[in-house]
Amino acid sequence: MSVPTLTFVIVGQEDHPIYEVDLTGPKEQQTQYLHQFVLHSSLDAVDEQMWLSREPHLKVVDRFNGLNVTAFVTAGNTRFLMLHDGRSDDALRSFFNEVYELYLRVLLNPFHTPTTRITSRDFDRKVKLLAKRLIG
Amino acid sequence: MAGLVPAPSPGVVAKKPARRCAEVCLELLCVESVRIFHEKQSGPAAAAALEAVGFRVGQQLAERYTRDKPRLGDTLEIIKFVCKDFWQALFKKQVDNLKTNHRGVYVLQDNGFRWLQRLSPPSAPASATAAAGAPASSAGSLPPGAGAVDPAREEAVRQLALSHLHLPCGIVRGALCHLGVSCSVEADPKQLPSCTFTVRIMA
Repeated sequence: MSVPTLTFVIVGQEDHPIYEVDLTGPKEQQTQYLHQFVLHSSLDAVDEQMWLSREPHLKVVDRFNGLNVTAFVTAGNTRFLMLHDGRSDDALRSFFNEVYELYLRVLLNPFHTPTTRITSRDFDRKVKLLAKRLIG
Repeated sequence: MAGLVPAPSPGVVAKKPARRCAEVCLELLCVESVRIFHEKQSGPAAAAALEAVGFRVGQQLAERYTRDKPRLGDTLEIIKFVCKDFWQALFKKQVDNLKTNHRGVYVLQDNGFRWLQRLSPPSAPASATAAAGAPASSAGSLPPGAGAVDPAREEAVRQLALSHLHLPCGIVRGALCHLGVSCSVEADPKQLPSCTFTVRIMA
């Protein structure tokens, strides 16, 4: 694919998206819809993998048209999903660890309800910086 | 409480010792919050409010304490996690006894519940023993044989302990619900400072 793809989504316990960002810059609407659709349909595949292994880091769980979905699952059943076109597994692993740290901070904020979207601009900025630094 | 230590920022190697907070601050905070809630609202509303606060805290703590651990599978494992790691981090000891009837009821027994250690019974005017007027910082239960056991006084002590147990119940319920076990938690201060928590799984 000529256009690099890197979309990151955090899905909460009730299977609704808490945070979505396209890490390679804004895309046209069609592509955005496609990415959203692929990520949400991969939740079933994530569930299957979760039943098989105890590891929080699940490698590529689903594929669609050359795009891969890699997942990270926390103990509280929050899923971090990354739609990419074949990035390095280690880079994604370290990215997920760092974002988990940031996510914990957000969760510990008493003014934030766990089931609502994360609207903090600071969080957004840090996630984008992390992606640039770790995944390139 | 060890849980109040701020996490080091990512990318920074934590060489300097993490800042800690004196435990007495937590104890005073708990006692004061119980007092304030019972002042502002009456009886069940105050209990429900305290439990809700505990619920939220429990959710956050559960997410935090399961950080680097592998995910937990079934209900029993989650309860065991709460009895061991969670209790250790929160109350500096593990739960002493866990019983279950294998039908969704678990009883966690803690002989020496940390947040009730400083609870001294309200002084009884009729009692002539040295227990009357004991300073508030002395440790908990009445010495056996300190005069005749007064059922009304026992009941008052029990009610006082119960009012302080809403917060821990909420914390346990919050942690369990966040990890996927929908349940209700009740506390029973049978013999201070030992206390049992009954967890009923909601099908």
